[in-house]
Amino acid sequence: MESLQQTTVVTLVLATCLASAAFAETKKEYRFTVGPNANVSVDTQYGAISVKPGSGNQVIVTATLKSDKVEVDQRQNGNRVEVASHLLQGADQQTGQVDYEVLIPPDATLNLRSSTGPLTAERLQGDLSLEGTDAVVNVRDVTSGHVHVRTMRGPITLTDVRNGHVELASISGDVHLKSVTGPLVQASSGSGKIFYDGDFGSGGDYKFTTHTGDIEALVPANVSADFSAHSVLGRVQHDFPLQQPQHSRFSVEAGRSFFGTVGKAASEVVLRSFSGKIRLKQR
Amino acid sequence: MTCSDVERVLPELLDGAPDGEFQTAFETHVKSCPACSDLVSDLKVIASEARQLAATEEPAPRVWVRIAAELRAEGLIREPESAPKSAPTRPILVPTSPRRRWSAWWLAPVAAALLAAGSYVVSHKPAPQVAKQQAPGTPAASPAPAPPAVAQTPAVAPASVPNPAPQQLAQKSATPTAIVGLTAAPAAEPEPSEEDQQFLSVVSTRAPSMRATYESQLQAVNADIREAQAYLDRNPGDADARQHLMDAYQQKALLYQIALDRIQ
Repeated sequence: MESLQQTTVVTLVLATCLASAAFAETKKEYRFTVGPNANVSVDTQYGAISVKPGSGNQVIVTATLKSDKVEVDQRQNGNRVEVASHLLQGADQQTGQVDYEVLIPPDATLNLRSSTGPLTAERLQGDLSLEGTDAVVNVRDVTSGHVHVRTMRGPITLTDVRNGHVELASISGDVHLKSVTGPLVQASSGSGKIFYDGDFGSGGDYKFTTHTGDIEALVPANVSADFSAHSVLGRVQHDFPLQQPQHSRFSVEAGRSFFGTVGKAASEVVLRSFSGKIRLKQR
Repeated sequence: MTCSDVERVLPELLDGAPDGEFQTAFETHVKSCPACSDLVSDLKVIASEARQLAATEEPAPRVWVRIAAELRAEGLIREPESAPKSAPTRPILVPTSPRRRWSAWWLAPVAAALLAAGSYVVSHKPAPQVAKQQAPGTPAASPAPAPPAVAQTPAVAPASVPNPAPQQLAQKSATPTAIVGLTAAPAAEPEPSEEDQQFLSVVSTRAPSMRATYESQLQAVNADIREAQAYLDRNPGDADARQHLMDAYQQKALLYQIALDRIQ
């Protein structure tokens, strides 16, 4: 009886060890030396990608592989670095997951792609292109770089992004913009909401478009912009005394549209929705 | 000459650059091949319709900025390499996934065709000088039109749509009436288009775990297209509604593009 118990315990321990070994995480590190304005691309079907600025002229990629059913392919062609996950036979969303932590020179151009995400990029100055299916996308503290984000359902959040072109598109994900300014800021979502918290800077063109999602802009009293808003089927409202020009091709339809100037019209803000609500709120 | 040869030379011949022996082989094949014959006739209709699009006023400079940003994002333009050292250079923003194989190549022209169809709808009916009409009472109650069959049409028309590679123009196309039919408002129940069904079939094969997600998103964007189209049919002069219809097509193209990036 005692020997049977011992045998059972040993068997259980052995099975646990084998299972652990089969699904043991593996960490791999890759280092690349690059010149100015490098181009870094990271692509994974499943997994998170987090990118921060590093020091010097190195790209350092730390990949955490969740199982042996996925490999990491990496190569460098001159100033271009490409890292991608490669699913093997039998891999699924759990076993095929690879999480990446990446350090890049701040001026590098970055391309990230993941179905599940999340995708995070912060404190960078180069151009960013992020694409996810369900991935949550977070971009923070980016100056001068162009930011392009596309998701299917993943929510997009940009915080402290300045002086670059921003183009965000999601089919049903929400878009949150906090302190985002630049010469061109465009955000569109089919059914997701767009929320902007900021002052629309100076000299920029801002356009937010949804089909059914609501649009809300929370701005300070000293904002300076030309505003025009129209919802084909939804309601619009604003908290500002808008000065309307004497001659304009834009006609106001009470409750469905408004337009006018606040301050010196430093920027242009266009808010459009097919059936969502549009609100311009004063902080 | 084979069908793939026809696909390769078709754009040149449509541009009117015939070569005697070339032209003969081309015409001989087209006469004997129903698929290529349909393709050629459809493309000729699209090309002739495109020529009839009225010129518009020069758009504001910011429009070109946006177009440039869009093309740059798609990797179709790049900064000149001979820029002076004093000028700040911007790195090329080009997707660099090494494993992108265009085995689902037909998705690209379908996405471009959706944009072309939307552009055609937006520009074919110029808005009146006086804006705004009253919003209808219950537009949602109207029967939704069928999903646009123009998605089957290869992308040839508006210049704002990236031109697909010649071989990509060779996908099977719908009849020319598909474009005209876009402006009509049939009252029949919407059925998934052939392209949508094929799209979901490919997703089921190559990324089965994503099928439910793509299908639900596809239904949502198709519903948006139908809704916008139905409203526009009742209010043909509403420029904003027309733009929303165009945006809905762009959303569908975005869905196809995201899938194309993932399906390998």
